[in-house]
Parts: sequence; C-alpha cells; structure tokens
Amino acid sequence: MSLNDDPAGLPAESLILNIQRMSTEDGPGIRTTVFFKGCGLHCLWCHNPESLSARPQMQWVETRCIGCKTCLAVCPEGALSDDGAGIRILRDRCTACGACSRACPALALERLGEPWRLDRLLDEVEKDRAYFEASGGGVTVSGGEPALQAPFVAAFLTGCRQRGPHTALDTCGFCAAEALERLLPATDLVLYDLKEIDPERHRQFTGQSNERIFANLLLIRDRMRAQERPARLWLRTPIIPRMTARLDNIAGLGRFVAENLGDAVERWELCAFNNLCRDKYRRLDMPWACREDALMTAGEMEAFANAARRAGVAADRVAWTGAVRPDEPAGDPA
Amino acid sequence: MNAATQPKFAIKTPRGLSPRIAWLRDYYFQGTARAWTNEATAWTTGTPWDVVYDEITYYIVPETYAFLQTFRSALRQAARPVPLPEGFWGWSLPERRAWFIREVMVNHVPQELLPGDLLAGGRFNLQASRCWTKAETAARDRLIYGRKGARAVMKAFHDHGYGNSGATSGHLIPDYARVLDIGWRGIHADLAETYDRLTERDRMGARGAQLRAMMTAAGMPRDLAARYAALCTRRAAGEADPARRDELAQMAANLERVPWEPPRTFWEAVQALWLTHMLVMSDENYPGPGVSFGRLDQSLHPFWRRSLDEGMDREFGKEILRCLWVHCNTVYDMMIRVGGNQGITAGYGQLFNLSGMGPGGRDMTNDLTYALLEVIDEMTPILEPKPNVRLHRNSPEALLDRVVDMIASSQGAPFLLNFDERSMAGMLREAKEAGVTHLIHEGNVHDYASVGCLENTMVGNDRSGTVDNNVNLVKAVELALTGGRDLLPFVDPMTGKTERIRQAGPRTGDATAFATWDAFWEAYCAQTRYILARCAETYEASEAIRARFSPTPYLSCLVKGCAGQGRDVTQGGAELSFTTMEGVTFATTVDSLLAIKHLVYDRKACTMAELIRALKDNWAGHEILQAKAKFRAPKYGRDDDEADRMAARVMDFWTAETWKFRTRSTGRRFRPGMLSWNYWVGDGFIVAATADGRPRGQFLSNAICPSNGADIHGPTANVNSVGKALGGKAPAGRGDWEAYLCNLPNGASHTMTFSPSLLRDPEHRRKFRAFLKGYIENGGTALQINLIDADMLREAQKHPRDYRHLLVRVTGYNAYFTSIGRELQDEIIARESHARY
Repeated sequence: MSLNDDPAGLPAESLILNIQRMSTEDGPGIRTTVFFKGCGLHCLWCHNPESLSARPQMQWVETRCIGCKTCLAVCPEGALSDDGAGIRILRDRCTACGACSRACPALALERLGEPWRLDRLLDEVEKDRAYFEASGGGVTVSGGEPALQAPFVAAFLTGCRQRGPHTALDTCGFCAAEALERLLPATDLVLYDLKEIDPERHRQFTGQSNERIFANLLLIRDRMRAQERPARLWLRTPIIPRMTARLDNIAGLGRFVAENLGDAVERWELCAFNNLCRDKYRRLDMPWACREDALMTAGEMEAFANAARRAGVAADRVAWTGAVRPDEPAGDPA
Repeated sequence: MNAATQPKFAIKTPRGLSPRIAWLRDYYFQGTARAWTNEATAWTTGTPWDVVYDEITYYIVPETYAFLQTFRSALRQAARPVPLPEGFWGWSLPERRAWFIREVMVNHVPQELLPGDLLAGGRFNLQASRCWTKAETAARDRLIYGRKGARAVMKAFHDHGYGNSGATSGHLIPDYARVLDIGWRGIHADLAETYDRLTERDRMGARGAQLRAMMTAAGMPRDLAARYAALCTRRAAGEADPARRDELAQMAANLERVPWEPPRTFWEAVQALWLTHMLVMSDENYPGPGVSFGRLDQSLHPFWRRSLDEGMDREFGKEILRCLWVHCNTVYDMMIRVGGNQGITAGYGQLFNLSGMGPGGRDMTNDLTYALLEVIDEMTPILEPKPNVRLHRNSPEALLDRVVDMIASSQGAPFLLNFDERSMAGMLREAKEAGVTHLIHEGNVHDYASVGCLENTMVGNDRSGTVDNNVNLVKAVELALTGGRDLLPFVDPMTGKTERIRQAGPRTGDATAFATWDAFWEAYCAQTRYILARCAETYEASEAIRARFSPTPYLSCLVKGCAGQGRDVTQGGAELSFTTMEGVTFATTVDSLLAIKHLVYDRKACTMAELIRALKDNWAGHEILQAKAKFRAPKYGRDDDEADRMAARVMDFWTAETWKFRTRSTGRRFRPGMLSWNYWVGDGFIVAATADGRPRGQFLSNAICPSNGADIHGPTANVNSVGKALGGKAPAGRGDWEAYLCNLPNGASHTMTFSPSLLRDPEHRRKFRAFLKGYIENGGTALQINLIDADMLREAQKHPRDYRHLLVRVTGYNAYFTSIGRELQDEIIARESHARY
C-alpha cells in the first residue's frame, strides 16, 4: 500500500495487463475487457501466461526489434544480453523496472503490467459507452483473476455501474469467498470457469483443488436465488487435449450443473483448446505443457457438447466455441 | 472438379438470376470477346484543327499525363466526319456543340438492343468534336500549352507533391426527378418560355445562345427515343417468341412516350431515367464517373407503388432494375481494348442512395429500398451502379439486419454506408459558411444525396466539383520545415534532369531556430494557406478554359439555375456551385505534427536540424529516430485525446482557410472534403519522407482514415477518433445538426476492414449491427466496410485467375482485387489486421 491509498483500504492503483476494446467474446454485446494481472491458479494450458504473475514482467518482441541495442546500455541491473539470436532477458536479474521498455525506440521491449489509477480507468472504459448502449454490452473484468484485487475491482465495477455500463466478472472462482462477495453486488453477469470435476486431477492441472471453486459457485447461485446480484451466470469450460477433454469430465461437470444450478445457468460454453499463445510462453521464457498439442476437431467438440446435454443441462444452453482443425476423414489413407 | 483447380475460398457469385439476366451478365463479362460493346466512338467536324479529346477532365488522373498528347492525336485520327449544316460555323459554341452531340447520337451512332433486354439505350460512350473554330482552337492551345500553360501549371503542382487539380466532368446528381415529373417536353417548354422572356439584346448575347443550345439538347432524348421505338417495333415484327414479341411491343410503346412525356409506369420511369442518364455521359464525353442518381428508392417509389397496384409482378419490376444494372456497367467499355482486364479495372461511381431520413427525422425506407437491395445482392459482384445506404438513429432494425447480412455474405459490404446526422451537419455548415441558407436548411437538408463515392451534395441544383482539387495537406509540413522550399529537388522521371530547388511558399524562417512548438505551428499555418492558394490558382487555369471552351448544354438542362441565368453548368450556372478541396494525407499530416512536437519539443529526442537531416536522407542512417517517430510519438486513430485534439486543430484550420477561396472565372466557392480516391498510393512515391516515420515510397494516409496500422486500439477507438477529427459533438446539443458538428460538407471517406469472424453467427451479427449504431453516434459521414482476411488475399495474389471477381473497395470505389497493382494489393493485405505495426 502506498501513501496515496485510501484509508478505507482502496489501493490507488492496480496492475493491469491490457484493456481490450470492442471485445465480442467476453459477455453480451460490445465490451471493453480489462485484464488484471495475477492469478491463484496455474493451469497447465493457460492461454494468458503473462497474467499468472501478480508482478510486472518484461518481454522482447523480436519482430519489432530494429537491433539498435539501446536497451543493453540502459538496463541498470545488467539483465539484458544479446546472444546473436536476439535480446535475452536474464530473469533472475530483471526487476521489470521498465528502463529498457521506456528507452526502446520500437516498443520491442515491453513491460507487461502497468499501474492504472481508478479515475483514469473509469474514463478509459467510458469512451465506448455509445457502443455499450447500442449493443447491451459493457465492461468485463478479467485476468488473471480480478477477485485477487477485490477492493480496487469492486470500486471499479461500482464506478462503472454508477456511470451506466453493464458489468461482467470473468473469474476462475479460486478466491476467498469474502473477495467474491465484495464484487458481486456491482456485477451484472458472472462468467465462471469450471474446468475439472475430479479434485485430484484439478490439483494436477491447476495447482489447486476444485472444492473452493464449487463452493464459490454455489455462493453465486444462492445470491441469484435471493434475487441479489449477479443477475446472470455463464459457465465456461476449457476443453484441453490429454487433460479436461474427457467425456467423463464433461458428463461429471454436467451432472453438477444440472443438479445444483438448474436455470441459474444461462449459457455453458465449451471452449476449444487454442494454441495462439505459443509465442507468449517463449517470450516469457516459460515452458508450456501444451506446446505440441493439436487443436480439437469439430466432431470432438460436438461430442463434448452432447455429453453435457445428456448430463441434464438444457440443450440450447450448451454451446462450443473456438478454432478447430478439420475432422480427420475416416479411412482416408492420405 | 479437381480440388487443385478449385479456388480455396468461396467468392460470392450471383444467384437466382433469370435466364435473361444470366445471359446479359455473362455476355457482359466476356469483355473484348463480345461482338457488341459500348467502346467510345470518335466523331469530327472534319476540320484540320479539330480536337475530340478534352484533356482537362483528366488532369486529376496523373496516370494519364504521359498519354495526353497521344490521345489527342490518336482519337482525332480515328474520328469519323459528320456532315455539317449550312451556317454551322456562324453559330455560338454551345449551339454548335449541342447540335453536334444530338446529330451524332441520333443519326450516326447505331441504335442497338441486346437479346432479352427490357431497356433501350445501348451505345453512349463518345469522343466527339469540341466544335471549335480555328481561332478558338488556337486560343485554347495558347492557354493549355507553353511554360505558363494549364498543363505545365498542373504538372508542376503534381510533380512537386502538392497533389492534383483540374476541372473535371461528371460528379453531380442531375435533376432526373424533373424528367420523371414533367418529362423533357416540360423542360423544353420551360426553356422556351425563359427564352421568350429575354430582351432582344439578351437573345443576341451569350444567354440567348446558351438557351438555344439547351433547347436543341432538350430535343435529343425525344429524337433518340423515337429511333429506339422504331427499332423495337421492327424487332417485334420479326420475333418468333410471343412473350418476347409482347415485351418489344411494350418497349416501343414506352419509348414513344418517354422520356419526352412524363412516365406513368415503373417500366416507363426506368426507361426514361436510363436514356436521360446515358445522354449526360454522351454530352460530357465522360463515361460515368460520379454521374449519380440520388435517392433512387424515393424518386422511383411512386411509379413502383403505382405499377404494383396496377398488377405489375414485383419480380418483373426487379427484372427491369437488373437490366438497368447491366446497362450502367457498360460505361466500362469506354476504352475496352486498352488495358489488361478488358477495361474492367476501376469504379466509375454512378452512385445512388437508399433509405435515409425524411422530414422531421422520419425514416424513409420503403419496399423499393428492399427490392433494390435484393437486386444488388443477386447481381453482386458487379460494379455499377453503386449503392450507398443512408443510416440514422431511426433506421429500422429490419434494414440494419439486411445490411449486416449482406456484408456477411459478400467479401465486404456491397455498398457504402452514409450517416445522416453527421452528413447533414456538414451540409448545414456549408449553408452557413457560403451564405446559402435559402437553398440548404433544416427543412430540406435530409434531401441531400451522395455523388461518386460518398461526396455529399444537394440534388438537381448542385455541382460541387467533388473530385476537382486533391491537395496533399502534408506538403505544408514539409514547407514549414524548410522555410517554403521543397525538401528535395525534383528529378524528371522522363529526362532524368534535376531541377534546382526554388523558393515556393512563404519565407517562414529557419525551422531549426524555432524555440517553441507554437512557432512551428505558425509556420505550418502560413504554409497551409500557401498550398491551398496554390491549389486554387492551379484550378483556376483549367476552370477558366473549361468555362470558355467546353459547354455541356444537355447537362445544363438538368441542373437548376442554368436556365434561369442562361449560364452553362461549366460556367457556374448551378444554384449551388462549389468546387471541393479534397484534403489528402490528413493522418500523415497530423501524425507528422505530433511527431515533431513529441520528438523536438516535448521529449527533446532530437533537434530540429537532426530531424530535417533524417528526412532529407529518407531516414537512412537514422533508424532509431525513425522508430521513435513511428512507434513512440502519439498517433491519430487511437482515441487518444491529445492526438485527436491535434487532428481537430489541423481540421479546423485547413477547412476554415478553404472557405476563403472562390474561382475568379466562374465564382464558385471552395468547400472542404476528404475523399482522396487512390492518390495516397501514387503520391507516396512523390512526397518526401515525413516526420511520422514514413519514408518516401511508402503510402500516405487515406482520406480520414488513421495511418496504416496506427489504429492499435481497435475499431471503436478508430471510429471515435474520426468523429472527433470531424468536429465531434457540441455541448448542450448546439451543433450544426442537433449536437453533431461537421467541418466537411463533402464528407470523408472512412474505410475499415474487419475479420469475417466478427460476423460468423447471428449473435455476432447483432453485435456488428450495434457497432453501426455506435458509429451513427460517434463516427464520421461515410463508412466502407471490407471483410476480408489476409490469407484469402494472398491466395488471390498467387492465383489471380481463380479470383477474378474478388471485389475490394478502396476509399469507396470498387475494384477487382486481381486487377489492381501489386503495391495496392499489399497495402490492402497489410491493412487487413488491426494488430500493431
């Protein structure tokens, strides 16, 4: 906490990874999605690896670099080197102070995670109000896990609601119940991730058991049944080869949803594994467990959607999304 | 079909066409293989000094400069002589020309009819004698040729990177409504009455001559229709198929009535419209560009309604419209044997509007609006006539749905979108600035329509020269850096000779000595005044020549104001007579100013001397500074208020200055706009390196669009920046139209390219519809939506034969992707993604 912070416990700034405008995939209508940095889960497939750490990180984007080596001269920690193949960031030395990214003429060095003040952030999302109003869209907080910065995010969502826009919280559910309870009163829609029905496998894939996640989901259901916020609930399940992409998993999640949530769930999206994040891992010098995995096929995704429906979830509420590879033609030797 | 020969991506193909239309359409696309074409025929008075090619109308097409002399002599040689009547050379010039065009169209150009066609009116492309006497030819040649002649003035303007300028034909919406209302008989009667009221002295003078010429011209549609009626009657007599025989008999009956008498049925109305329209192109010897129809779904609706009530099959009504589509495309036959793709290379811009606001903000969408959209959908891809759909706050959901569905199912929108609130704000600004509030006001501004691509004008009384002046705004930044001299010497590409750099603009001082940003801004303003004045002066040369030597008496019959004043439309006879200064390189200008302020004054990343050195070196050896200019300096197009304030400041200044100019020869006021056609591509090779990091040889920015790749915050940010640059909205709702402000009465071309995934399902199409509603609130006057992914375009580049019909739209004009240059193809591919640089 800095001196500028509000005595009531509201931090003056929050670390934000990205603000994506005209987002059409994070809730109803046209939205501005604010990505907060830091997450309590470490899913092996995570497609936003830059959002895992709650601290700023540096990356070097080779396609932007003009090779001027300005960065090597300005780094106060001696954390950069040029090994001939490009700029290397020595992660154990780098403090992500941003000296290199401020000096880089071509924005090839980039600091991931910048502090934003609440008023500035509210002004920023205000810019697309006309599109929100025309589309029934609004603001989505995502991450990372926004609930880990609950005081700031709650103030932000409250500010949005006061100014008008619809609010959505995109959460993995792994957070303290108190944090979630701070956010829900200012949240119109929750986008909730359900990944794995088996607690042990969940721990294996994400680093944490799923018990708290299910408990928090029931908390949301209870709020909805009590006619409190949120008004709407969408579920999302990543379909990851070798991991969550199992019929027993989807059937198990489906039974949980059908038995416990019923009509509270407006939509359940099965999100096909996506590999566009491969370069992100490389740039962050992070290994990626899914590096070699292929995309799902449309046939497979359809089968998972049907499994969810067979488990008792209303058919028209289940949908699958995402890029797929072509189904392999049966018996074609080529 | 073998998979290897099949195009990888589906291109929209026409569907559900009747055998009649399928035949006509396929025949059209056979190009040079056709037995019949509308290739221009040339006609001469037979004098040794005769000229049949008027180069002035091509001064705004730099690609033609090298061929002007060739065209002049080749067309003269190819021209067939027309016997002249006794006393011809004693007549005034407009009378000679009116007689000559009428004689050629009625008695020399053959009348022909294609199988199954429901509309008569085949050949109309002409290159006809200008009908000058020997003395007139010599006088005009003195004004065109020589060191101070119009051609040299125009070429110097272009060579030194200022842009281009010239008095150009077309580009207006003739008063077709009047023909539909009272027929040519009524127009002729009005002319005769006006003539009768002239004093004897006036009859002897220019006014009398002009009115006599217009009366001659007004008889041309009647005489030509009679020829076509006779042809239809002959064809009917020899026709074996009874159904076709009936059609031909009805066509003959239609032509015996219209366009001389006012039409009664929809078929008659479209026939009257087509003959009247095609003769404008004959009169101007100019095939199509910008000769626009106005609000077709409004002007034809009473006839559509009446014929439907009287039992016309709706499908047959659409069949008549489909024939109109085929006819409009034959403009491309003008030079069909010249050029690589059978002349089908560019958009000609016979535009029409659909839908839009009526009195009191009421929406004017009707059944004909939808019928016309159906015809477009069925005929696409085909180029002419080009639709421009007017949207506003009260546009019906059904129309928006239809528009978005059509965007989703074509490779891009098969129409432009025009936005009424912002457009009308611009027209009302024009009324105030030019003192014409009696002609444009809150009670009639909704009747505006678009010309050519998107240029807003009033209808039937307005010639605003919407492509006449194309000025590179960024030239003023260059001159401010150098104290009024070209940054680099001009090297003639033909002779290789280097010109000495001369003082051109005002001496605004040594930029390296400017202590503050404000000092630089003052120099920039002084140089902007200079480039606008120089453009106006360049225009004056060709405008004065046209006014004196190239009357268009037929067109003048269709423009309110000409008859009453007895003045040709080329002499400023229109009630609303403007010429438009189209600002090109807007974003390059704004970004260059932002970069100078950022690098030299705010951040002190370099000195002014270092920056000028880098620009002279075309950034070579200055890559770090170039990267800072490109990537670290603020840019217009990101919804960044600081950058957009600069954009608004630039816009306010250059538009306010533009209103100060007026042509001396014809008294036409200059008004501002941003069209920029394709000049930002070609002039990229002429304009020196710019402070925004662009090297010479790279494209400039297009119209009101942000610089290529600068819009890193996505489409909504891009749109918001455009709206702010045009003026934004006024506090307390006191704008030019309600809260809307608009500096550009002409409007501004805005092109955006989206990934097709944004329209992949009904849910996303609803989101896109909402985006358009957001555009109505925050955006500009006109939007072209392209919906193409880069892979598909690369595929088309590799296999052009498989993608011959792939349409792309650049700045509102259509082109077949495979027929445009490789550089522009690459540019469109680069623009495809909204990603970072």
